[in-house]
Amino acid sequence: MATDTGEESAVYIYGIVPADVETEPDARGVGDPPAEVTTVRHGKVAALVSPIIRGGSLGRPQDLTAHAALLDAAAAEVPVLPVRFGAVMTDEESVAEELLGAHHDDFVAALDEMEGKAEYVIKGRYVESAVLHEILAENEELAQLREAIRGKPEDASRNERIALGEQINNAIAAKRDADTWTVLEELTALGFVVNAREPTHEEDAVHVACLAETAKQGDLEAALDRRAQQWEGRVQLRLLGPLAAYDFVVTQRPGE
Amino acid sequence: MTTAVQPAGGGGGVQRPSASALADVIDTILDKGLVIDAYVRVSLVGIELVTIDARVVVASVDTYLRFAEAVNRLDISEKQKGLPDLLEDMNQGGAKAKTKGVLEAAGETLRNLLGEDERERARRPEGR
Repeated sequence: MATDTGEESAVYIYGIVPADVETEPDARGVGDPPAEVTTVRHGKVAALVSPIIRGGSLGRPQDLTAHAALLDAAAAEVPVLPVRFGAVMTDEESVAEELLGAHHDDFVAALDEMEGKAEYVIKGRYVESAVLHEILAENEELAQLREAIRGKPEDASRNERIALGEQINNAIAAKRDADTWTVLEELTALGFVVNAREPTHEEDAVHVACLAETAKQGDLEAALDRRAQQWEGRVQLRLLGPLAAYDFVVTQRPGE
Repeated sequence: MTTAVQPAGGGGGVQRPSASALADVIDTILDKGLVIDAYVRVSLVGIELVTIDARVVVASVDTYLRFAEAVNRLDISEKQKGLPDLLEDMNQGGAKAKTKGVLEAAGETLRNLLGEDERERARRPEGR
């Protein structure tokens, strides 16, 4: 496709797909206005790309969601190796030669592994009142500390309050570890590949990425439904996906 | 507005947001995925720092004080949601299909606002 190859333009890269993948004419990506997404092919692989103004800034919410939406839509249909947000190369020739050409066989092997699979992300958030009740019920010392603080002026009890809060934070972290383990075990038992993520909120209960055959999405949903029902009122469980397999691609793959 | 999207603990089952919320996208695409050499070769991309701030989760004194406050309030708000956790409500905006009485348009608006609020949360040390 005709891409502006003037001095001011560079090429933004979304991900790697098999060479026979076609982009929709209305596929749009990052930029303002959103740029048309096309492919650069080399051998059996292709990069999903769009032109981008050199020197422009990137990272508006629309840019982030455009990057993710494009790759996730692709991942539901074809194997995709997602590239981290913000990758830019000088022109299409360098994409073809220095990216696709230089890593051609690795990309082919990785795309083969990704065939029929997609990533799913499981996020659980504690229901605050429920988890706090649980912690106080399990920890007499904390319950006493709480009683000691109640009724004192805020200023006078600042240090005690900090100590109480820190212990609660630690108790939640311990619960998070245990609950994450529970989910990892259940997904592994179903034959899915899992990858625990770092929590992104202090009340996160579970944050796990899972690589699963899209044909088995129903099994995954059923398992998480059961888990959500067992945790009802305690943890709000969400399932995202199918997504591109961000958590399961590595930059340097050993050649096979 | 926050009450409109409370899950009320009912329904059961895992929630299936129809579209990824911005917070979910940020968790995923900024530090995961293939990294290519182009990062160092072309220094054109100025990812706004404010966006990255939204990812920061640091257990701090402010977090501890917030937890202490939440525990203190536990009795009087036993049957209610502990804190008006804006972020959580925002996320559930993404799960609007599962939630009764939520206007479609409201969910969209919430998602658009999410970046703002998370950012504020990460930046404002006094929390709530």
